Amino acid sequence: MTLQDYRIDIQRCSRCSLCKWLPLSQIKSWRFANACPSMVWGNFHAYSAGGRMIAALALLDGRIDYTDKLVEIVYQCQMDGACDVSCKVNRDMDPLEVMLELRAKCVEEGQVLPAHMVMIESLRSDDNVLGEPKAERGKWAEGLDVKDITKEKADVLYFAGCRYSFDQDLWKIARDAIALLKIAGVDVGIEGKEEACCGGRAFEIGYRGEFTKYAEHSIETWNTADVRTVVTPCSDCYGAFKFHYPRIGKEMNFEVLHITEYLDRLIKEGRLKPIKKVPLKVTYHDPCHLGRLSEPYIPWEGVEKKVLGQVIIKDPPREYRRGTSGIYEPPRDILRSIPGIELLEMERIKEYAWCCGAGGGVKEAYPEFALWTADERIEEAKATGAEALVTACPWCERSFRDALEQNGAKIKLYDIVELLLEAL
Amino acid sequence: MTLHRNVYQVLADIVGHENISDEPVILDTYAFQWLAETISGTKFCTRPEAVLLPGSVEEVQAIVKACNSNGIRYKAFSTGWGPWNTVGGEGVIQLDLRRMNRILEIDEKNMFAVVEPYVIGSQLQVEAMKKGLNCHLIGAGANTSILASATSMAGYGLSGIFMGYSNCNVLAVEWVLPDGEILKLGSLGSGAGWFGGDGPGPSLRGVMRGMIGALGGIGVFTKCGIKLYPWYGPPTTPMEGIHPLDGMPIPESYQAHSLTFPSWEALADAVYRIGEAEIGYVMGRALPPGLIPVISISSAADYTQMLQMVTIDEFKYAIQIILGANSARELEYQKRALEDILKETRGKIIPMMEEQSVKNILFRHLIKSEGISRVFQLAGTFATSLGAGTSWDAAVASGKLGEQLKRKYIERGAIADDGGDLAWGGAYQHCRFGHLEEIIMYDFQDPDSLKGAEEYIEESAQAAIDKSLGQPISIVRGMAEQFGPTSCDYHIWMKRIKKAFDPNIAADPSFYVEPAE
Repeated sequence: MTLQDYRIDIQRCSRCSLCKWLPLSQIKSWRFANACPSMVWGNFHAYSAGGRMIAALALLDGRIDYTDKLVEIVYQCQMDGACDVSCKVNRDMDPLEVMLELRAKCVEEGQVLPAHMVMIESLRSDDNVLGEPKAERGKWAEGLDVKDITKEKADVLYFAGCRYSFDQDLWKIARDAIALLKIAGVDVGIEGKEEACCGGRAFEIGYRGEFTKYAEHSIETWNTADVRTVVTPCSDCYGAFKFHYPRIGKEMNFEVLHITEYLDRLIKEGRLKPIKKVPLKVTYHDPCHLGRLSEPYIPWEGVEKKVLGQVIIKDPPREYRRGTSGIYEPPRDILRSIPGIELLEMERIKEYAWCCGAGGGVKEAYPEFALWTADERIEEAKATGAEALVTACPWCERSFRDALEQNGAKIKLYDIVELLLEAL
Repeated sequence: MTLHRNVYQVLADIVGHENISDEPVILDTYAFQWLAETISGTKFCTRPEAVLLPGSVEEVQAIVKACNSNGIRYKAFSTGWGPWNTVGGEGVIQLDLRRMNRILEIDEKNMFAVVEPYVIGSQLQVEAMKKGLNCHLIGAGANTSILASATSMAGYGLSGIFMGYSNCNVLAVEWVLPDGEILKLGSLGSGAGWFGGDGPGPSLRGVMRGMIGALGGIGVFTKCGIKLYPWYGPPTTPMEGIHPLDGMPIPESYQAHSLTFPSWEALADAVYRIGEAEIGYVMGRALPPGLIPVISISSAADYTQMLQMVTIDEFKYAIQIILGANSARELEYQKRALEDILKETRGKIIPMMEEQSVKNILFRHLIKSEGISRVFQLAGTFATSLGAGTSWDAAVASGKLGEQLKRKYIERGAIADDGGDLAWGGAYQHCRFGHLEEIIMYDFQDPDSLKGAEEYIEESAQAAIDKSLGQPISIVRGMAEQFGPTSCDYHIWMKRIKKAFDPNIAADPSFYVEPAE
C-alpha cells in the first residue's frame, strides 16, 4: 500500500493523542507514562504518530511542501511502533505503516538525510550500513571453530548482522553466542564475509529498492543453500526477517529464530544447563524489533464496506498487528533459568517497552536524540533497583553503552548470552 | 496574515527558539482536528500564526502581555482534543501547554493534588492510587488534561456519582488573566495553599468557568488544585489479558454490574434511588446499549459479528455500576441496597455481563475511563448532541428525545444504526443532577453521512430549545448566543465578563463569546 492508499485512514485520526502515551490502563506512574520518544523530544504535536499522519495528509493535499522541518519531523523517530500499539487499542488504524510509507515517499522524491545517504552508500558498496569494508565482515569470528556455510552444510545458519559484524566492542557477545551453540552441540555455520545486510534498516529509512534487493538476496541465497534454520543474535535483523521480508512475497523455506528463542529451546531440551549461580538483580529491556516489531506482517487485500448504515468494516475482515505476539517470554525464561538471577521488571515492558533510541536511522542522523532516549530507559531500569540492565540486541547494547559512557550512570549492562554463558 | 517578524522575535525571546514555530507543517498539525469538517468542511481548521510551548507561568504571562501589546490574539490548550481547541480565525497564536506537565503535590491527608495543564487523567490517577486516593476522570477519557477539564470544559464522568464533576473538584487556581495579570483564586489568593476553591481568598469559580467552561476564551490556567477521593483498591492495578480486551481484576472492595430496566422511567427511578441510598462508586452509561458489544471486540468487523450473537435490545435501558466500599460490611450494604432497588424498579443484572472476564474489562473501562473512545472505531467519527447538565429526569428526557430524533437518520442510512439509544452520561453527586448526551456515529468522508449528521445536530439543538432541555454539551460557535435567551440571558453576563476581563480581546473568543458592545 502507498501513502495515498492510507489517506482515508489518516483522515480518521481524531487527534486524541493516545499515540503519545502507553495504553491508558498500562500507565503505572507519571514518570514513565510516555510511549513515544520522538514526541517527548520534539514536543510539538507534529512529532507524534498522529502529527506525522496529519503532515502526510497535508503533503498529499498540497497544503505543505517539503522543508527541512518536515524532513526532520519525518526522520526524527525511531519507528519503534509504540504509537502503533497504543493507537490500536481503540482504532482500526496503522500509524506505523503510514509513517513507513511517508518515509518511502520522501526518499522517492529526494527528501533524504545526508546521514542516511552515507548508510545507503555503504550498503551499496560494502553490504553494510556502518561504513565498514565488506572484506572485514567475518573478522568477528576469527579463531572460532565454526563452519563456513558457503563451503559446507550446517544445521543452523548463525546470521550475525551488521552491528555484531563490525562493532568490535560487541564481538565478544557474538562469539559467546557461538560458544553456547557449540556447547549445546548445535551444528552451526556462518557466512563470514559473504554475509550481507538484512536490509531492514534500509526499509525503515525509506529505501525500498535497497531493502528489496537485500531481502531477495537473503531469501534466494538461503533457499538455494537449503538452509533450514537461521538464528540471529540481532533483534533488528530478526524484526526485518519477520515483519518486513514477507512484504516482498517470496517464499522463505527456512525457519528464523532469534538467539534467545533458540537458547531457550536448548535449555528446555536439556542441551544447555545453567547451573552456576550468577547472583545479580537484573532488569530486561525488550528490544522493539524482538518485541512488537517482530510480529509477523499480515498481508491483507480487500475493501471497506458499510454495514448497519455507516459502520465501516474491512472485507474480508482484517487482522491487525497489536504487538502482542512479539518474543517476550523466551528471554525472560532464560533469565529465570539462571540460578541467582532476580528479574525485576520495568514499568514499560513487552509491547509497551520504551525504545533504546537506536532504531529508524536515528542513531546515525540524530545521535543526541538517540542518547537521550537511551538515558530515559536507563533511568527506568535504575528505578527497578536492578544492578544490571540486560538486553538481547546489539543496537540496544550500543545505544546503552554510549549513554552509560556519557552520563556515567551506575548500572551494569549485559547481553543475555553473556549471562547464560557465565552460568554454564 | 503572517506574524510580523518583530513580534515573532519577541515571542521567541520569551520561550526560546526551540519552543516556537511557524513552520507550515507544525501549524497544520494544530489546525487538524476531530470534527473540523463541521466547521471548515475539511479536516483542517484555521492555522494558528505560530505555536508556542511555554514552560512556566512566567512565560505564559509574558506571552499574554506581548499579545496585548502587539494586537494579536492567543489560544491556549492542554491536551487539545476537539475543534474548540483550534484558533478561531487569523491573527491568533496557539499556546500548547504540554511542557507544563508536572504533578506538583499530592496531599494525602487533605486529599487533593496540585497539577499543571499537561498532566493527564491516567497519570494523576495512578499516582493518587499509590496513596489510596483516586481522581474524577471525565468521560472523554483519561488521556485528557485534568486541569483543562477542571478549569475550562464541562467535565462530566461516570465516577461523578461519587466524585461530583470537574466544576466542583477544582480547588485553588493560578490564572493568567487575558491581560496578563496573574490572579490566584481560592485559598491560594490568601497565601493559604491549594486546598480551597472558594476561599479564604477570591472565589470566582462561576466567572472562571461556569457550567461549561470558557474553552480558552478567558485567559490561561497554569496550575490548579484538584480534589481527590478514596480509592479502596490496591496501590497498583496490573491488567490481565491482551489489549484491547484486557481486564482489570476487581479488588475485593469493589463489585461491577451491568443493569437493564424495562423502561426509561424505571431506569430514571432506579438511578434516583441509587442516589438517595448514596451507594455507587461509578455509575452511568459508560457503554450505552449500542456500545455494550464493544466490550468484547477488537475491531469494527468484530462489532457486526457480535451483533449476530446478541441484539442491542438485550441491553435496552442499560446502565453500569461499580460499588466500592471501605469495608466488607459496607460493600454488603451497598449490594443489598442495589438488590432492593432492582426489585422496586424491575431492573435486572444482565447475565451475560456477569462473566468474570467481561466484568474485568468493564471494570477497567469504568475505573480507567477508556471505553468511550471506541466510538471512533465503528464509523470513523462521532458527534454528540443534547446533554445539558440538568436534573436527572430532564437528562433522561434528553436521552429519550435523542433516540427518537435519530430514528429517521438511521432509517435513511445517514448515521450508524446503533439501535437508536446511544445516550451517554449519568447522574452525579448522588443524583443531585445528571446529563445524557446523545451520540451519533457517522462517516465524515461520506457526504450524505456528513450532511445527515449536521442536520441531526441542528435539529437536536433546536429541539433542546423547544423542549427547554438546556444548552447541549456539543461545542459549536455561537452556542451561548443561541441558548442564552432561553436561560436567563446568561450569555449577556458572559459577554460582560469577557469585556471586563479582556479589554483588548486578546484571548481568542471564538468558542466562548464576543465581548459586550
